[in-house]
Amino acid sequence: MSSRAVTARATDPRYDAGSERAAAEGEASLARPERSLSRWRPSWVAVAALLTGLIVTGALALTSAAVYNRNERRLLNLRVRELSLVLAATAPSIQTPLASAAELADATAGNAQKFRAFMAPYVGPGRQFSSVSLWPLGTSQLAPSTVLGSAPVLASMPERAEQFFTHSTRPGVLNLTSFLGSPHPALGFDFSVPGRADGFAVYAENPLPANRRSTLEKNSAFSDLNYALYLGRSHRTSDVLVTSLKRLPIKGRQALDIVPFGTGVLTIVVSPNGSLGGAFFEHLPWIIAFVGLLVSLAAALMTDRLVSRRQRAEQLAGVLDRVAAENREMYTEQRSIAQTLQHALLPERLPEFDGLDVGARYVPAASGIDVGGDWYDVVAAGDGQVLVMIGDVSGHGLRAATTMASLRHAALAYAAQDSDPASVLGQLSDFVNSAPHDYFATMLCALVDVGAHRLTVASAGHIPPLLIDGADGQFVEFDANVPIGVARKSPYLQSTVSVRPNTTLIAFTDGLVERRGEVLDIGLARLQEAATNMVLPLEDLLIKLANRLASEDHHDDTAIVGIRWQS
Amino acid sequence: MAELEPQPPTLQINIQLDPAGTQVVILSGELDSSNAESLQEQVASIPPQPTRRLIFDLTDLRFMDSAGIAVLISAAANAGSVSLRNPSPIIRRVLEATGLSSVFPIEP
Repeated sequence: MSSRAVTARATDPRYDAGSERAAAEGEASLARPERSLSRWRPSWVAVAALLTGLIVTGALALTSAAVYNRNERRLLNLRVRELSLVLAATAPSIQTPLASAAELADATAGNAQKFRAFMAPYVGPGRQFSSVSLWPLGTSQLAPSTVLGSAPVLASMPERAEQFFTHSTRPGVLNLTSFLGSPHPALGFDFSVPGRADGFAVYAENPLPANRRSTLEKNSAFSDLNYALYLGRSHRTSDVLVTSLKRLPIKGRQALDIVPFGTGVLTIVVSPNGSLGGAFFEHLPWIIAFVGLLVSLAAALMTDRLVSRRQRAEQLAGVLDRVAAENREMYTEQRSIAQTLQHALLPERLPEFDGLDVGARYVPAASGIDVGGDWYDVVAAGDGQVLVMIGDVSGHGLRAATTMASLRHAALAYAAQDSDPASVLGQLSDFVNSAPHDYFATMLCALVDVGAHRLTVASAGHIPPLLIDGADGQFVEFDANVPIGVARKSPYLQSTVSVRPNTTLIAFTDGLVERRGEVLDIGLARLQEAATNMVLPLEDLLIKLANRLASEDHHDDTAIVGIRWQS
Repeated sequence: MAELEPQPPTLQINIQLDPAGTQVVILSGELDSSNAESLQEQVASIPPQPTRRLIFDLTDLRFMDSAGIAVLISAAANAGSVSLRNPSPIIRRVLEATGLSSVFPIEP
């Protein structure tokens, strides 16, 4: 019956609307922060997820960038070595024709015609040298005896020539000189045959581009580099021979190498013109950063959604709990109203009788809001007799309770006229059957003759009462009559039993013994055992039986009435 | 919530006309005050039969309380007679204790 009560509530439309509204309100208040971005506050878990993602992304991007930089540096160092090897390899190609010409001049005593014939293929626009001249050494006035191509800058600077040939040059090696500050910047190469102070020096000159710029050809092996070539161990801008850049010094990542060149050295500085290892690796840190940022944002958003969904579920659970609590409260309240009514319909206090202890208990069901239709009465019936009545109207709720009230009062009225149990039941049955009805009631009437130790019992489908004599308990046996409210073909029958002194009678409704899925006799045996295993004062016995019942999860209201002969 | 709402016992009701022209109400599950009312409505909707008989097949009915018995009683009052088919020992004992065995003959 508890199930019924709760089910009824769950399907009550008003109840449902209320709970849904409550749930909807809860949801609305939860949904609100997400509606406006200005009020949107990410959860700290989402922020933590975002930060973690960003940190990991940053670390990956930095690592990638560091690896890229190391590789680039390594590649650049390799490239500058390669370039310096190529540069160094050009020295012999310059030295060889000059050396041969010097030998020739020595052998021919400076024959101009032979010198010209030999050097002509090397000189001129697009050829190796722009100017080659033959200088007899050991004379007081140093000047070229033969000149091919343009006039050498050195020839216009006698002091410089004197200084160069007398002090700077060494015979047998390629000597280098430069005119970097002059209006016609040029680079000069000298070779003279060793061992002859009055021999000849062969001097070649190449002009340097006015702004020192010379870009490498697109298809050159070094087109991926910017370079600057300096004279000597210097990379001062004033010492630059040639560069691919508009502006010096070279900025950014660079590598430097010193190249031996004849008697001097050249310094080469290069920087990458783009990425040496490939564009992909150059962009990889950015790709990682970008993808990582997106992933972090997505993770943070997802985390935030999960967190807010969980919060919503928790709050919704809170709303449901509140509804459940309200529900419980209402349910308890409703039940207590019904119980109040029930108690109002039952005798407030049982009368007292000479020679007889009487007591009663009413135990409400452990659950459910509906009260049962159980009742009892113990009334004086004249001539030292006491009439015990107990009944149970089928069904539950207000209707059963009010039906019970009318049956109880009718029974009291009939008993006042004739306390014979079968007569009470018969008249009550006729009264109920005289009008259409959809209930029935079981009822037990027991007329107790205190002095005569006699008991007359009639039952309208009611469970037999228990007679306890010391440690012996027996259910009273009688003819089974149909319940009140069922058409009957024969009059109610009653039985009379004699009892011994101090006998106890326990009459009760089926809630005391009936359990779902259990045959009635098991419950009867359980009661018999509980009521007889210890001899207790009547009041204590009733308390014991009621408490035993209350400790079980019984689903039906139960009435118990007890009487005991005092002697 | 769960502790507040035990699942209501389920009752399946199946009404058939047997070859002899008698309406048979086949019940399975548990019949108590939570569902007696709906059974009452369905039984009341059965049109009156010339045989003036109604059979309740209780083979698969595990439990019946006083509200269920009230349905049987009112069906008997309206239809003329109600017999029961195959009630469980538990139900048989309840009918016996309430003096109703004579009211509801048991069909083989």
